[in-house]
Amino acid sequence: MLKYDVIVVGAGGAGMMAALYASKDKNLRVACLSKIFPTRSHTGAAQGGINAAMGYRDATDSPEKHFRDTVKGSDFLADQDAVEFFTANMPAIISELDYYGVPFSRDPNGRIAQRPFGGASSPRTCYSADKTGHVILHALYEQCLKNNVEFLDEWFLLSLVVADETFHGLVAMNIKTGEIHPFLAKAVVIATGGFGRIYWNRTTNAINMTGDGTAACFNAGIPLKDPEFVQFHPTGLASTGILLSEACRGEGGYLINREGERFMKRYAPEKMELAPRDLVSRSIEMEIKAGRGFGQGLEAYVLMDLRHLGKEKIMERLPQVRELAMDFEGVDLIDEPVPIRPSCHYMMGGIHVSDYTTLATPVEGIHAAGECACVSIHGANRLGGNSVADVVLFGKYAGIGARESARKRPFGLETLVIKEAKKWESKFATMRNKTSGIRLVDIRNKMAEVMWNYVGIFRHEQEMRVALETIDQLLNDYEHAYIGDPALRYNTAFVHYVEIGNLLTLAKAVVLGAINRKESRGSHARADYPQRDDENFLKHTLIYKRGDRYELKYLPVKITKYPPEERKY
Amino acid sequence: MENITFRIRRYDGTNTWVQEYRLPYEKGKTILWALTKIKDEIDPTLNFTSACRHAICGSCGVKVNGHAFLACKTSLDKLLETFDTSVLYFEPLGNYDVVRDLVVDWKPKMEKMKKIKPWLLPSREGSIEEGFRQSKQQFAKISSSTDCILCGICASECGQLAINDGGYLEPFIINKAYRFAVDSRDNAPEEHIRPVLENELWKCIHCMQCVSKCPKEIPLTDEIAYLRKETMKMGEVHNQGARHAYAFYHDVKKWGRLNEMTLPIKTDGMVTTLRKRIPFAYRMIVKGKINPLRLPKAVKGIKGVRKIYQQVEEESKS
Ligand SMILES: Cc1cc2nc3c(=O)[nH]c(=O)nc-3n(C[C@H](O)[C@H](O)[C@H](O)COP(=O)(O)OP(=O)(O)OC[C@H]3O[C@@H](n4cnc5c(N)ncnc54)[C@H](O)[C@@H]3O)c2cc1C
Ligand code: SF4
Ligand code: SF4
Ligand code: FES
Repeated sequence: MLKYDVIVVGAGGAGMMAALYASKDKNLRVACLSKIFPTRSHTGAAQGGINAAMGYRDATDSPEKHFRDTVKGSDFLADQDAVEFFTANMPAIISELDYYGVPFSRDPNGRIAQRPFGGASSPRTCYSADKTGHVILHALYEQCLKNNVEFLDEWFLLSLVVADETFHGLVAMNIKTGEIHPFLAKAVVIATGGFGRIYWNRTTNAINMTGDGTAACFNAGIPLKDPEFVQFHPTGLASTGILLSEACRGEGGYLINREGERFMKRYAPEKMELAPRDLVSRSIEMEIKAGRGFGQGLEAYVLMDLRHLGKEKIMERLPQVRELAMDFEGVDLIDEPVPIRPSCHYMMGGIHVSDYTTLATPVEGIHAAGECACVSIHGANRLGGNSVADVVLFGKYAGIGARESARKRPFGLETLVIKEAKKWESKFATMRNKTSGIRLVDIRNKMAEVMWNYVGIFRHEQEMRVALETIDQLLNDYEHAYIGDPALRYNTAFVHYVEIGNLLTLAKAVVLGAINRKESRGSHARADYPQRDDENFLKHTLIYKRGDRYELKYLPVKITKYPPEERKY
Repeated sequence: MENITFRIRRYDGTNTWVQEYRLPYEKGKTILWALTKIKDEIDPTLNFTSACRHAICGSCGVKVNGHAFLACKTSLDKLLETFDTSVLYFEPLGNYDVVRDLVVDWKPKMEKMKKIKPWLLPSREGSIEEGFRQSKQQFAKISSSTDCILCGICASECGQLAINDGGYLEPFIINKAYRFAVDSRDNAPEEHIRPVLENELWKCIHCMQCVSKCPKEIPLTDEIAYLRKETMKMGEVHNQGARHAYAFYHDVKKWGRLNEMTLPIKTDGMVTTLRKRIPFAYRMIVKGKINPLRLPKAVKGIKGVRKIYQQVEEESKS
């Protein structure tokens, strides 16, 4: 039986930071388990940077200002005690990353350079050229190697074993061999990232961002907090959803529809393309809905035109963007406009964390950090540069929290964990032997389509009801799915099958949360309730799963310093 | 062209076979698009790895018609044009253990990487509380080497690894050593450099495959040259590598090119060569890396080369 004091699930920024901190106690046996090789984790895709009020570029900046900006950005749904803890501790984390060898870009004084970012009142985003997440991820991996963290690469978490609200262990598959193993652990940190893949191709997220850890916690009785808040980025490449940086609009890119018209004048006559992310995303979708986009259905798009900037400026300011458009959309921005469409980018909601200093969940022994968790510091809308910050900072405290849990908790019951593993073994066998059924790909595509059309950037009760019915139907179809691969070894068809199940489980929670939040706040825009409603909805959604039933509850928002006010920029 | 034929080398842990798939041609698609389409629509048993889809995670390296590419970044149009064919042959990256189909195993590589201490050995100028000061110029030194996404393409293409029996380090490992060796925040460059030297640093055959195929354009051979220079400064002039450099010097002077046939003899001496190098040379020949029948002739313009030598020698005398 595999036995560890602490198991960290996920090797992105949050997971590796947690593993690093848990492993600082040499008496503890720590493993970091990841379904992909650690440096493939999605943290590596973050380009822009990581927020911390170092005050290097602007001496008037302070953690207090960072605190205020974050609360305002969240549309007042963030828990202010947690945000204050976050912003106060961020500068120390940046120095720590520097000490771990992260190659930060530098200012003329040799200090870490900082750049301005959306929603921030001072330039406080630390960065490394346009590969910030990549270098942080690699540096953390190096530190974990140095600390002898035991990595279980290409191991897939299948489920958590919780009985009577007590954590016993988990079940995971060694993908390379196909063996399914029970694990005993005293504490676990779930750090499995976001689940933007509920929209399948219409996301900036990596192919494997399927919310497995979130679903495992949800299935184990831990509620999901605020799942309805989904961030959309206006400029994803049309055919793949890959992100084109906000710098395109910053440098003066135009958005045009099929009639060749700069349509932003209809929605934001003054700010035009420089209006905030959510507004621009909504405008693009309105054009498409009005039939002024190109293409049909999920394939529809508008154009971003940069030609008027001229070759020189494009080469100087946007070389990476040009390369992305060329490599992934086959378009050279110098000669042609590029097809774009908003793309799901980030999940504000996630596993309910009840203590932001230890990242504990309501089930003792289970901690959660990173995009899969909801602390909540992002509330209804996350500011750019605050996620990688969230990931490393709360990853650290989750590592410390899990270390403490492991010190005081005994191992759980072997029999329970073995029983759960047997269940998965027989499920794996059944799926491998099945020769017919509903194609998984069809279930997946249908889910993405209905989520995008009805629970995307615009939401309306009637449409969301249709989405809910469809998701329920798909959950039913899922029972009859077949995977088409009988092999044990590296069976990605089976892995994909479990992932789609997790996505469906979470998609349903997103719809339910959204239907029941009868207001518009942050990323959640309801056509039928266009106003923010503090009287009724200044509160977190909590969704519990009891068997197949989903139960909604609410939790007050912690307001310490900044009373809600209208959000104007 | 109406269809593209994909011949994919399959492996299930026991058997190896080649399977053929056909997709209708579509303009502007990538290798990863094709693999994904085959898995989604034709054959769910086909396995490969990918994650980010935009050239930053390093998971999608694969060999097509004998050359390694990043699947998500490489367009099919480019391949069809380069190879002037509508038949593409897919294999997993070379110099890796294969797990299944196009999936390779990274674990052994990371175990190997630990040799060079792939982490910052922080100098006393910094602290965990305050971090470091580092100038823009110092940052510039590590900027390109920290672009490495660990995709493994350089290792797949490396001429030395193809014939080596496991001692030589993968170019990306050498890159990692370089990255810390030149970081102003690192206190002990030698601790990263020495293991590279001890692991056959001088065996790089300058085939340049790593540099020309690296999707991040990391100047790996320049880094190797730097590390060699550093080891010589560290007092390692009498080792095999330094002798190799010397032989290199003479060959180029004489022929204007490297004589791969005689270089080992000059480096190791006749007896050692016969004992150790002949099997090595044999493997090189089998893999088509050298042609024993082609004896070196002085290149055109050898006079110019010799003139450069003369000038350098004179300059270094004065
Ligand atoms: C294109 C893009 C650009 C971005 N840019 C920025 C930016 O500039 N600044 C910013 O602050 N934020 C940015 N973000 C957001 C930010 O990058 C992510 O929110 C953050 O990196 C998530 O980190 P994480 O550690 O929570 O998870 P991830 O890095 O996503 O890691 C998840 C880990 O969990 C593992 N895992 C998942 N499921 C399982 C399972 N079943 N079993 C085992 N292991 C599993 C995975 O293998 C992986 O190791 C960006 C996001 C995207 C998509
Ligand atoms: S130049 Fe050297 S390191 Fe690069 S591929 Fe050739 S032998 Fe390998
Ligand atoms: S050096 Fe280049 S080719 Fe080699 S692993 Fe790194 S990015 Fe890939
Ligand atoms: S999929 Fe990430 S590099 Fe290709």
